[in-house]
Amino acid sequence: MAWRSRLSYIGWRHLSIFSNPSPSNWTKVVSDAEKIVGYPTSFMSLRCLLSDELSNVAMHVRKLVGTKHPLLNTARGFVYDSRNNLQMRGLIVLLMSKAAGPCPSTSDPIHDSMVSGIYPSQRNLAEITELIHTAFLVHRGIVNLKEWTNSDGPLKDMQFGNKMAVLSGDFLLANACTGLAQLNDTKVVELISSAIGDVVQGIYHESSTSAEEGSLTVASWEDQTFLSHGALLAKSCQAAMKLARHGNESQNLAFQYGKHLALGHKLNSDLHTFVKSGSEPAVFSLDSAPVVFHRQIVGPERWRHQLKQVQNMARQIDYTKLRGLIKTERGVSQALDLCSYHGNKALEAMKCFPPSEARSALENMACAVTKF
Amino acid sequence: DLKDPFSLAQKDLQNLYEDIKKQLLVSKAELNALCDYYFDGKGKAFRPMIVILMARACNVHSNKEGALLPAQRSIAMISEMIHTASLVHDDVIDDSDTRRGKNTINKVWGERKAILAGDFILSAASMALARIGNTTVVSVLSQVIEDLVRGEFMQLGAKENENERFKHYLEKTFKKTASLIANSCKAVSILVNSDPEVHEIAYQYGRNVGIAFQLVDDILDFTSSANLLGKPSAADLKLGLATGPVLFACQQFPELHAMIMRRFSSDGDVDRAWQYVLKSDGVEQTNYLAQHYCQEAIGQISQLQQSTERDALIQLTELVLRRDK
Repeated sequence: MAWRSRLSYIGWRHLSIFSNPSPSNWTKVVSDAEKIVGYPTSFMSLRCLLSDELSNVAMHVRKLVGTKHPLLNTARGFVYDSRNNLQMRGLIVLLMSKAAGPCPSTSDPIHDSMVSGIYPSQRNLAEITELIHTAFLVHRGIVNLKEWTNSDGPLKDMQFGNKMAVLSGDFLLANACTGLAQLNDTKVVELISSAIGDVVQGIYHESSTSAEEGSLTVASWEDQTFLSHGALLAKSCQAAMKLARHGNESQNLAFQYGKHLALGHKLNSDLHTFVKSGSEPAVFSLDSAPVVFHRQIVGPERWRHQLKQVQNMARQIDYTKLRGLIKTERGVSQALDLCSYHGNKALEAMKCFPPSEARSALENMACAVTKF
Repeated sequence: DLKDPFSLAQKDLQNLYEDIKKQLLVSKAELNALCDYYFDGKGKAFRPMIVILMARACNVHSNKEGALLPAQRSIAMISEMIHTASLVHDDVIDDSDTRRGKNTINKVWGERKAILAGDFILSAASMALARIGNTTVVSVLSQVIEDLVRGEFMQLGAKENENERFKHYLEKTFKKTASLIANSCKAVSILVNSDPEVHEIAYQYGRNVGIAFQLVDDILDFTSSANLLGKPSAADLKLGLATGPVLFACQQFPELHAMIMRRFSSDGDVDRAWQYVLKSDGVEQTNYLAQHYCQEAIGQISQLQQSTERDALIQLTELVLRRDK
């Protein structure tokens, strides 16, 4: 029923990956980190962006201007916004590669091919990680035509936007696959392919749950969020270690860093509107950590009651009111604790690497995710 | 004495779909259902059959026994998974209602989940591919994934020049259909033989049969009725696509040029174009072309040492031409 989808998770109508401003020190942390790896990471995937296919798509996407298809937001982000940490994952993979140092065996053929402390295969992997991440940003913007209403604009615009979103996402994924093949390491191919599967599982139920249903506990929230937000980064970090022939221990540490950093980052992002709010109106997902934790604390009965309190006659939620209600309980502080926990676990993982600029940069990132 | 290709491959094909489903096992029940949706054993299994027969033919040629290597069987599964993933996405792109007599995934569960299911099948195929442990084979089949997408992109644009159009059509046909078959055949040959000439034979057979297969498919879109195919006909015209029969028919009915340029978007275009094609010798010419590609395929595969499988692959070209669905 149409009202259900409106009640639920904010869905694609409000989809924006830029809705949360980053803490000011995060931006500085990232730009310092970029210097360490040799060039601004916003140049990654540039080769891909210059292809005929994508310029074809860009031409078509222009026709979406004036429509409400989410692809427009995603595309706009590429053109105008290089400071929004779109390339964060790739940057972390590069830093991790550098922090781990050269491959252990001096007789290995790759040993002397480092540039700025990073092997070419690791740079390629960083780019592949970004390709995959972007592909899913694009595929997540696909709209279900059955949910279309007149207020979304002409149906054919949505159909067209979908077509472009499918094709560009597929193009990015295909490039990721051929890139993976060129790494000449089938274990890495397997690992990263499994990460793609993880992301799908993680985002599959996004924007399809209704407000009252949904049985996410704190533990299942973490599992789910690992799949959707952590797996790609964790496995890419691990793969970067493998490419330089580092052993299982390094691989595992890198994995742990990626996992905990990603979870911490997601928590930080979810918490923003609850912690930094002044008087701006709130927009947040009912799947975000503070809400999920709050629901678990108050139980299903009280939650239903609270929802009724913040809905108008048309059953639309006043998110600002809801935020106020949530802040009176312990969901927010629970999420804050968890955020610190993950930030610290990420820090712990880095302690085992030798001190270096790259390691410090990664540590700074781990600290930055716990700050608001 | 020639054995029917389908029967010959039967034993290896048995349980193929069950094994594919094992690769797609995932805890989210609904996602699982979507991924399994087209692996119900009702498809033709045309591609896996070719791959299996080619594998055995190469094995015999290489003086190994005809039996299939597990890795080769894997390739058969992987090729079918890649093919299915692309179909699922195509149905969203084309906004299709039905496929193989069922409602499409996008119609039942929505476009978003359909795309995600396709992505998942692709990732599972990629994992299975990696597990074979051969980097050359991984490269060869990854190329297919790229070709499939590029083929789809090629369909977005229309070419001005008539001569360019046909070339464009054949190139698109290679990318969208033949590349998968060609490269799967090549992959199974790589797994058993290091001679690049053998790889080339396998590849060329697959490429030629693949193109012929698509040409016949394009003919059937005009000539068959909706019931047999499980999907509506004149579908290509309705999507704005000019295929072999139309391109040939242009020679006799220049009115078609303008319709092609505007992708049959004006009222009555689809019907009029269909009439023109059936009045012309477009279908016949496309058929000749398909026969030519089949001859090429036969010429290639005949270079392999004789075996029941090799002969079945030769007979297969006949079946491709005689298809009525």
